[in-house]
Amino acid sequence: MKKAGLVFIPIFILGLMAGTSYPFGLGDVFKEIDKTTRGVEQLTKPPEPVPPKVPTPDVPATPRISGAPTPPRPPTSAEPVKQVEETKKKGGGGLIGLGTSLGVIDKKTSKVLSTTTQTFKALQPIGYQEEKAIGEALAVEVFDKFGGQYKDDALQKYVNLVGQALVQVSDRADIPYYFSIVNTSDPNAFATPGGYVFVSRGLLQMLQSEAQLAGVLGHEIAHITQKHALKTIERSKSLQGIGTLSMTLLDEDPGKFNQLISEVSNTLFTKGLDKNLEHDADRLGMEYAYRLGYNPKGLIDFIRILGGTKSHRSIFFSTHPSPRARYSALKNKLGNYRAGAKYPHLASRYKTRTQGKL
Amino acid sequence: MKTAMLNRFKSQAKSSLRLFVFTVLAFLLFPALVFGETWYVKSDRTKIQSDASSSSDVIGVLSQGTAVDVLEKTRRFYRISSSEGEGWVFKFKLTRRAPEGASSGGGGGGGLFDVLGGEEQTFAARESSSGSSIRGLNPVTQRYAESHGSSPESINAVNQMENFSVSQGDIDNFLKEGKLGAYGH
Repeated sequence: MKKAGLVFIPIFILGLMAGTSYPFGLGDVFKEIDKTTRGVEQLTKPPEPVPPKVPTPDVPATPRISGAPTPPRPPTSAEPVKQVEETKKKGGGGLIGLGTSLGVIDKKTSKVLSTTTQTFKALQPIGYQEEKAIGEALAVEVFDKFGGQYKDDALQKYVNLVGQALVQVSDRADIPYYFSIVNTSDPNAFATPGGYVFVSRGLLQMLQSEAQLAGVLGHEIAHITQKHALKTIERSKSLQGIGTLSMTLLDEDPGKFNQLISEVSNTLFTKGLDKNLEHDADRLGMEYAYRLGYNPKGLIDFIRILGGTKSHRSIFFSTHPSPRARYSALKNKLGNYRAGAKYPHLASRYKTRTQGKL
Repeated sequence: MKTAMLNRFKSQAKSSLRLFVFTVLAFLLFPALVFGETWYVKSDRTKIQSDASSSSDVIGVLSQGTAVDVLEKTRRFYRISSSEGEGWVFKFKLTRRAPEGASSGGGGGGGLFDVLGGEEQTFAARESSSGSSIRGLNPVTQRYAESHGSSPESINAVNQMENFSVSQGDIDNFLKEGKLGAYGH
């Protein structure tokens, strides 16, 4: 009996695994069997009518990746396009369109219903090309609003070396990142979607070690790897009903792009992101610095210095949780990085590389 | 005598059965011991080293998105097997997450077509990015910046930051000097 039980255990586990994806390939085998069974079931059912495909020349089916705007797809014949345009003018197809045609729903109600339906249409995740265009426009805003570019090639190279090395151990290393310094004495750092990261001259003056710089850059990189601003944009009211935000749409509707940038600019530089997202970026900033071999305490040290500063003109105060809240939240996480206590701060390299340049 | 032999046989059979069950369980619960887990390379020019140390020979280079089998793990390096050969890779250059696009579709299967789609997407994104640095800003951004009265200096600054690059060699030397990344302890 006991033996039977012992033999049963692996069989039971095998059975469990069949339902999950497992590197044995057994899951796949079972899935294949399942598919085959479903295939047989489907064969026994009468085929469902397939709705006729209607060409949609204006909106591409998926977010575009390549650079140039999509030329409108040539219609297979002039007639179907005309039909679609006419259907649009009448208030769309489907039940609402049918209701309008039959005279059950008047035109005004039809319009309201159509708008409501569009409002509930969820925005598809924004593609990289669109994300980069948004981030690039916001990057111009950063230079406009925060003192312009601080020109020092050696310093820019230093910030780039730390930043690019962090990117390579981050959770989104498959897109290019760009780092620059803005010429303001206020301690600031920003990230805009698509890989743009900025630190201010004032921030670099305030920092005392490379581990602190790594922590700050790690925080900004985390906003991009986690697509924090992008997720906020996807919830934006101005984009409701669009469905897919494509480069074609942004190109054809400059008003929509302007409105979008204005909203995101307000969020990033005035209102601030959700406080939880800032804590999330702190946690990941510390994690990325640790992965690269910096002492994870770097970011905590910076926040402590920030908390002690008299100048409160930094956006770290207006758009982030208080330094006290950030400090205590990060302090709680430090226990996860015991091995990192021995990792270097590289204070002397930071001093050498920045001395006389700020 | 006969009983003693029977008992010994029984005990041997029992221990063989235990060994068999233990092996099967280990085989089922810890597949990494036998087959290796699939991980993916985070970024281009990721080095495969002959040993779990940055000072060992570089025996190959992996491209972003390449799938590798992890055979053994140490604190900072993983021993991997890949199309480019077998060796050790700094563990934070690897991720469990498949390249974007590979798992799209919700099925979780990520077949060959999906994987190829993912690679193509990343390639296109990079191409367009490098293209943008040659052409200047994206036309949509350029039009936005001009219509908002952005200064030409700000537009140039974005162009400059997009064109500023550091080589992988520079990054490696920088990490080596600071005993960071794969060069850390």
